[in-house]
Amino acid sequence: MTPDNVLESTLSTAPATEPVLPPENRQTNRTVARSLTLHTVLAGIGILFLAPMLWLFLASIDSQASWGIEWPHFSLINFRHVLTGSLLHSLWNSVVLAVISTLIASVAGVFAAYALSRRRIPFKGPLILFIIFSSGVPLAIMVIPVYEIFSRFGFLSILPTAVFLSVTSLPFEVYLMKNFIDAVPTDLEEAARMERASTFQVLRRVVIPLALPGIAAAAIFGFVNAWGSFVVPLILISPANQQPAPIAIYTFLTLPKAQFGNIAAYSLIFCVPVFILYAVSSRLFREGFVLGGGVKG
Amino acid sequence: MVSSSVVDTVTGPSLGELWKTRHDKARYQWSSLGLLTPTFALLIFLFLVPMGFAIYLGLTNLTLIGPTAVHSSFTGMQNLIRLKGDTTFWSSLWVTGIFIVGSIAGVVVLGYTLASLLMRATAWMRIVVGGVVVISWMMPAVTAGMTWYASTTGNGTFGTLFGHPNANLLDAQPLLVVTLASIWSMTGFSMLVMGAALRNIPSEAIEAAIVENASTWQRFRMIVLPLLRPTMTAIVLLTGLLALANFSLIYVMTQGGPGNSTNILPLYSYQQAFTYNNLAYGALIGNVMVLIATVFGVFYVRITARRI
Repeated sequence: MTPDNVLESTLSTAPATEPVLPPENRQTNRTVARSLTLHTVLAGIGILFLAPMLWLFLASIDSQASWGIEWPHFSLINFRHVLTGSLLHSLWNSVVLAVISTLIASVAGVFAAYALSRRRIPFKGPLILFIIFSSGVPLAIMVIPVYEIFSRFGFLSILPTAVFLSVTSLPFEVYLMKNFIDAVPTDLEEAARMERASTFQVLRRVVIPLALPGIAAAAIFGFVNAWGSFVVPLILISPANQQPAPIAIYTFLTLPKAQFGNIAAYSLIFCVPVFILYAVSSRLFREGFVLGGGVKG
Repeated sequence: MVSSSVVDTVTGPSLGELWKTRHDKARYQWSSLGLLTPTFALLIFLFLVPMGFAIYLGLTNLTLIGPTAVHSSFTGMQNLIRLKGDTTFWSSLWVTGIFIVGSIAGVVVLGYTLASLLMRATAWMRIVVGGVVVISWMMPAVTAGMTWYASTTGNGTFGTLFGHPNANLLDAQPLLVVTLASIWSMTGFSMLVMGAALRNIPSEAIEAAIVENASTWQRFRMIVLPLLRPTMTAIVLLTGLLALANFSLIYVMTQGGPGNSTNILPLYSYQQAFTYNNLAYGALIGNVMVLIATVFGVFYVRITARRI
């Protein structure tokens, strides 16, 4: 994600530009034909994008699913099968992994974002450039040296992995939250300062509540990032009972007698939090920045 | 802006203090250090230190198991010489290049096409098609890889859709199929960002061009493209970076096979480190990835920083 553009996309509430009306009526036919082509092309692209997902939906409600695409023998038994035992436990591990990593990244990130936004700091420019750089570079490519470090300290388990996952989303979260805090008016903060509020109080009572949509969006980004991560837990978590859901899905696939319907149902359940959080975050972005009313005259 | 200086004036500092402290500029505050420490400590210990460590690691004979797993030693150029003669590495670099370029081209073209067409489409179309594309972007990589595997293997959706239900597309064109999957999984992002950039283009500019009788192509080339260039560059670089690190999707679909036809660098690095137990050699291949990522990252910083 590019930080800037996400903000741009969220801040521009302007409606899509209306098609320019033809000046004369004889052009109407051409406009209709054009609109028809446009919608056909769009429908075509939409179908091509939908096609790969089709298997997931159909197999999840098919009691006799295979890798092939076929009309399902409708049943919800797959969903009932996968919400038990070790599979349920893997989902729980995913929750633990994602929640801890989100908490670490968001708390550390909001402090840094505030400091980078408001304070006079030596080498501020280079620090911000470093944050931008590491928000673009996928830090998961560091996983082999991190594996070696973790294995020397006996850290190959779920909690240290959550810390590493928090680092992979931290730079982008800092950058996103900094942009939001930049947009919070300083008047309220100065008023709090006049009343001799401490830095921590200013943060907790003024900055965080006002920048909450941005902080929530950053936290959601962190959660989705940790939730979907596959290669990091694959390498860094060694105990079998600490494996998160993506590893469970992969293990499922490699079994000699794979239960395709179960895999599909489980994957679908695994996707649900991501979709919900995305819907929430796009709302947050749309409703964010109603701060003007906080400062009067 | 920082009010502590205001407070100082109220309580009345001595003339000497006033002389020393500049009141036109905010002062450094020690609490800033406390605010920055958690983030930068995390980034130093889990990004910069591993990066430095990996450079050393790549020049040792460390293995995952066996005697050199415990007592590894510095072997200097040995791994680099091996890398130079490693045909699998060079083919992997080539495959990575094709995968990245293909992903970028697809993501940019499809993202722009969708964004510009959806702007003129009916609300209903916008919600359905836009929604499908965004969902494919949000889907976790493991799930995306699995459902693409199912759709392109024998009896899969795509084979059925094009009238050859028994064709195993994934086996026939592995690199093409994983590149398409990668494009599919990143277009949503590009579409949203391009859509936002397109909405920011002033409609006066387009209207003026229409009055001047500019063709659609001219309007695109002379107005839309120049205004969209920074956004497109950002998308190109980010897509490149994400494709470079796109381990999960390919690992689930092909594990780098058949042969080494989809063995991009992160997979080969993983394979060397954890399948063949050559941890050091895997780290060295990882360093090549870091090098490529750094080039992309520096360009990304340059275009992003220009806008702050």
